[in-house]
Amino acid sequence: MKPSPDLEIKQKLTALLGAEAVSPMTEHGFRGEPWLVLPETEAVLATVLRLAHQNCWRVLPMGAGSKLRWGGLVREVELVVSLARLDPLIEHATGDLTVTVAAGMPLARLQEHLKSAGQFVALDPAYPTTATLGGILATADSGSLRHRYGGVRDLCLGLTVIRADGERAKCGGRVVKNVAGYDLMKLFTGSYGTLGIISQMTLRLYPIPPASQTLCLQGSAANLTQALLAVGNSTLTPSAVDIIANDGLGLALGFQSTPAGVAQQVAQFLSLGQALGLTVKPYTGPEIWQGAERVVCKVGVPVTAAVALAGLVTQLGGVAVLHGGGGMGHIRVMPEIMHLQKLRTFCEGVGGYLSILEAPTTLKETFDVWGYKGNALGLMERIKKQFDPLALLSPGRFVGGI
Amino acid sequence: MTTRDWRPLVREFQQVVGEKGVVWTPEEMLVFECDGLTSYREKPAVVVLPKTTAAVARVIKICHRANVPFVARGSGTGLSGGALPVTDSVLIVTAWMRTILKVDLENQQVVVQPGVINNWVTQAVSGAGFYYAPDPSSQVICSIGGNIAENSGGVHCLKYGVTTNHVLGLKLVLPEGEVVDVGGTLPEMPGYDLTGLFVGSEGTLGIATEITLRILKVPETVQVLLADFTTVAAAAGAVADIIGAGIIPAGMEIMDNLSINAVEDVVATGCYPRDAGAILLVEVDGLAVEVTENSQRIETFLYQNGARSVLTATDPDQRLKLWKGRKAAFAAMGKLSPNYYVQDGVIPRTRLAEVLQEIGRLGEEHGYKVANVFHAGDGNLHPLILYDNAVPGALHAVEELGGEILKLCVRSGGSISGEHGIGAEKRCYMPDMFTPADLETMHWVRQVFDPRNLANPGKLFPTPRTCGEGARTQGREQVKDALLF
Repeated sequence: MKPSPDLEIKQKLTALLGAEAVSPMTEHGFRGEPWLVLPETEAVLATVLRLAHQNCWRVLPMGAGSKLRWGGLVREVELVVSLARLDPLIEHATGDLTVTVAAGMPLARLQEHLKSAGQFVALDPAYPTTATLGGILATADSGSLRHRYGGVRDLCLGLTVIRADGERAKCGGRVVKNVAGYDLMKLFTGSYGTLGIISQMTLRLYPIPPASQTLCLQGSAANLTQALLAVGNSTLTPSAVDIIANDGLGLALGFQSTPAGVAQQVAQFLSLGQALGLTVKPYTGPEIWQGAERVVCKVGVPVTAAVALAGLVTQLGGVAVLHGGGGMGHIRVMPEIMHLQKLRTFCEGVGGYLSILEAPTTLKETFDVWGYKGNALGLMERIKKQFDPLALLSPGRFVGGI
Repeated sequence: MTTRDWRPLVREFQQVVGEKGVVWTPEEMLVFECDGLTSYREKPAVVVLPKTTAAVARVIKICHRANVPFVARGSGTGLSGGALPVTDSVLIVTAWMRTILKVDLENQQVVVQPGVINNWVTQAVSGAGFYYAPDPSSQVICSIGGNIAENSGGVHCLKYGVTTNHVLGLKLVLPEGEVVDVGGTLPEMPGYDLTGLFVGSEGTLGIATEITLRILKVPETVQVLLADFTTVAAAAGAVADIIGAGIIPAGMEIMDNLSINAVEDVVATGCYPRDAGAILLVEVDGLAVEVTENSQRIETFLYQNGARSVLTATDPDQRLKLWKGRKAAFAAMGKLSPNYYVQDGVIPRTRLAEVLQEIGRLGEEHGYKVANVFHAGDGNLHPLILYDNAVPGALHAVEELGGEILKLCVRSGGSISGEHGIGAEKRCYMPDMFTPADLETMHWVRQVFDPRNLANPGKLFPTPRTCGEGARTQGREQVKDALLF
């Protein structure tokens, strides 16, 4: 389908949003020459999408753009719609431990606000200083804290989305417990903007714990595996259990509790580790998101295979952080297809997966980005078709080219 | 019942599940005509009891080919009529799918068939020090498949979350008979989160035939505190202070005076003072050092809010004693009144006191007593409206009162269901919470999974007709030895 002439798109959008909110999207070098649109209200966002729907303009939604290159290569789009200006705090229900924000709210700004009430969003995603909550939700991006608090899916209580046809729809609610209607929050979490644009969300909050400390131990792969399983079988209550491949292998546990609770758990973990011949290693989280020549992957393997995967990453010259609760995490390796194939084969061999987030375009053109091996792709395609029949949203970015 | 000749279909079902696996005489089907919401009744045309995923898929394919609706049923303890048969439907009962297929302690997960009883999961792993966290009060009888359908909660979901937070993967038979695997053995897999979408879909998107659940390590120490207050508002104040201080107990439950007396009449715990306006149960768990410190702080908040006395227990038998009255609360209501009608609304927990007062006022206005037993920590109310079904029109009147209470919950910023589901009972209140566009978007999912509307039709989504349209009969049943709430 031949899109409308470029200038016509600009004219229509400028009439709606003003000239200042519509500009050529240059810095990202996307296919086509999309216009960057910055709506400031949910109503304007809805109008932009309705207009896009009427004119068959394809749309790539984004927040701050920190993860815009994650996932599959996006096919040509006419618009990049940024929610960076749709960012107000809508309601912080302090006593209810919930917060409702517009999707463009940066996580860092929200955390700063919540700090004064002694609360926080229990997420430690990539690019924490720039990432917006909408982007974090759309990519289901979580970090070490998922061990204690769960992933993004477990923290989202309600959503408002603007559908591909421009209609506003909400699901869930603003209370911590709610089973009314389908749980569309789960469907949208991690859907990479392929089903609609998230405009607003309600999140569960947690109190900032009075004390926290991280202890990292190092040793042989066999001893680390034993330590990891022993931790899982103990009554320790760490908030983070990370297997780290970064200048050797390490097992880092983060504890959050009362000061006495933290002190006791650190001591217990230390003696558990020492009994297995582990030694203390200064804790430095690996730099997953840095390095010019890099491929960053999201991986998942069972806990029992996590240390072995970390070992393989080390052999291939990469770095990794795998969260012990479910063996999920991130690895960074060089853009070598052979290496990626080897890692993917390992993950899939133990029932896990390897999906590519960041990689050079040439690599994504030749290597299956998502590595989805299940039998529900047809069902996913039917969902996409129902929600976005013209395939206008984030075209090509998701599993199976959705 | 229409004049359809069911014999050819019955023969087909018998070929799949054997003769014993098909029940269709009126007497045998009596037990299947309602679930825990006993005021609604309807006989299915045929009841089928498959044992395997393949058998479920074949049964559903037969239904699809014959264009016959089907309804899934686990143990039948649901409280919103989710497993209520629809006219001329096939009821697929999972009672013969009760195998625990796999236990993997190292990776802390189990795989079960849908008919496995909630409590069996914990029993299967408790020897090794693990448990399955979601604990609806009916856990000794309710099935995991039913928990999946309703996204069940329980008294400990304040800290540990509800069913959806503990499901890793599902094998599903979709409404056209296709078998798909969603999720897996890890909390997140590539692709849309169809596991999360399916949990809580109330049997309208298909049947889960294999379920992978996360299990947790039993905490080192558990302590229960029981405080009594002169008013519910005071107990609610203590709840707010505990949460406000950054403590997240495993559970916090409140019972009001009417419930306390009902319980004391029946189980005579001796520890719930009859003159108390409310009792508050708080359970904290974790390492001994954390539990001790948090319990001391909680005790301070309890007294600051006017607790007259605080009992504590860490020993399992003593803890059970403090919990006993709460666990028996709903069963005890039978002593207070010939019938009761339970609701399941949610409000922001900061508004407990005012909403409860308003519920009391609504009860008076409608001329019914309302007892309150609820999950205070997450604002999930269970008002019990006491009535006598022998009085003509009483059920209709209490349903109307129940509806008023739900609307009050929505107006207060809450929800019409915290853990029981919408089912047949509450779908007419969905438009109070959701706009036509919201509902249309949910319906899109339904159309993808079930274009012919054969899986549990008439549930969850509102229709232009009013609530309470289901067939009703008199009476109330109590499942033997089980707590239904």
